[in-house]
Amino acid sequence: MDAWVRFSAQSQAKERVFRTAQYACTLLGYTLQKSGASTELRKTVSHLEAHMSLTRKLMRLGNSVEALEAAKRAIHLSDSVLRLCLTLGHLNKAMYFACDNVLWAGKTGLVSKLDQHKWSQRSFRYYLFALILNLTRDVYELRLLMESEARYRASKSPPSSSGSLPDEHLSSASAPGAVALPIVSFWLRRQLHLLVTVLYNNPPLLLDLLKNSCDIFIPLDRLGIYPTGSGFVGACGLTSSVLSILTMIHPWLKLKP
Amino acid sequence: MDTILKFTSHHQGKDRVFRATQFACALSTYLLRTNTDRTKLLSTLKTLEANLNAGRKVFRLGNTINSIQAAKRSLQLSDRVLCLCLTAAHVNRALYFFCDNVLWAKSVGLIRDTNKVSWSTGASRCFLLTLIGSLARDIYVVLQLMVQRARDGHFRQKMIRHLNESPQVAEVIVPHLDAFLFLLLESLKSHPAVVLDTVKNFCDLFSPLDKLGIYPSNSGVVSLCGLVSSVIGIITYVNPSLSIKP
Repeated sequence: MDAWVRFSAQSQAKERVFRTAQYACTLLGYTLQKSGASTELRKTVSHLEAHMSLTRKLMRLGNSVEALEAAKRAIHLSDSVLRLCLTLGHLNKAMYFACDNVLWAGKTGLVSKLDQHKWSQRSFRYYLFALILNLTRDVYELRLLMESEARYRASKSPPSSSGSLPDEHLSSASAPGAVALPIVSFWLRRQLHLLVTVLYNNPPLLLDLLKNSCDIFIPLDRLGIYPTGSGFVGACGLTSSVLSILTMIHPWLKLKP
Repeated sequence: MDTILKFTSHHQGKDRVFRATQFACALSTYLLRTNTDRTKLLSTLKTLEANLNAGRKVFRLGNTINSIQAAKRSLQLSDRVLCLCLTAAHVNRALYFFCDNVLWAKSVGLIRDTNKVSWSTGASRCFLLTLIGSLARDIYVVLQLMVQRARDGHFRQKMIRHLNESPQVAEVIVPHLDAFLFLLLESLKSHPAVVLDTVKNFCDLFSPLDKLGIYPSNSGVVSLCGLVSSVIGIITYVNPSLSIKP
């Protein structure tokens, strides 16, 4: 019970739990539809999903301010790529929250005659840009870590057996094409090994990468760029919400800055 | 900016603002009820109030556990009266949140065969008992402050000066009343947190008293009192020194 009190005291904690519930309802609605369940049950699930979505919109009122403050803090970062990605990412998030607030006002009837579809598309576009920037940051951090890991390995192992192909492979090959393919596949295997090592040693980066990769399917589906269907979107949303709750329970798993 | 951040980044801050807005909408609806030109505005206010109410119910999911933890903490207080009042208040609040969660589950269709009226009455009763516990604690704290002040020699001189300064008729007839009121006001002036908490709990009383039919008043009075208590809640959130402890 202490754990719940500590968890719920965090600012975004309850919102994440409701996000998990919302996407669980999306996934459940899809499975019920496929398995031919009763319309009443499907209606209850879809009503609950809509209710969660509207409540989360209410919870997000004012989040633009927080996102702008985060953008202000990100401007002072020393690394230029990180500075660019994070500042723009937070600014896009602020715009997404602003559009989301307008959508809430429209759904609750505060603003009449609002083009819900247009504003919804706008908000998803900003969300997509924010996710692309977050993924760019993840890939950049991954690249830096892989380079440093490769340098570390090169410095550890003696120069004669440093990652170069064994000579018998080169001498036995007759055509240049037959030489290139083993070189490429060896290079790929080495890069893959580096990638796995770096991700294994950096759980915060791995979690953030997974979370953003899952999240990106939501706006891609809603904007019609890469339609995947409500089942896949629900599963991705559920996974990213669970990962985000994990980073709240264990703050060391959160990628910084 | 920091104050705005404090509200936007924590749900408790947002919840207090939403509560104030909800009661402001209810009060405006009551005041405009006879105005036939503003039907559209009235319906917008009613929809907004309903949405805020529904959203806040979702916010409150899980608050039962928080109240149980608060009750466990208050059991460890050394002062017996405070321990009793606060524990009773927190336990009743936990029960109120539980009833509220059941009502929410019914409204979304998760639970079907429940008697909405009996759960709503139960919620109002638990809320009333919470407020009675909180008010009992406020009265006890005020009495303690008054006893403390009365024992203070410096204050006694001030009291004698006050009684000699104003030889009015009422004061001559009921000197004890005047002294009592002076002591009460001086004690309250030095501890604004107690005043704010007492006013807040007193204003909150009207809602369950009206719902349970014990002291029926109109929705205007209930909304106004709710708005006052919400504003006090916002003040104590912005300025934690004005919040009563424990």
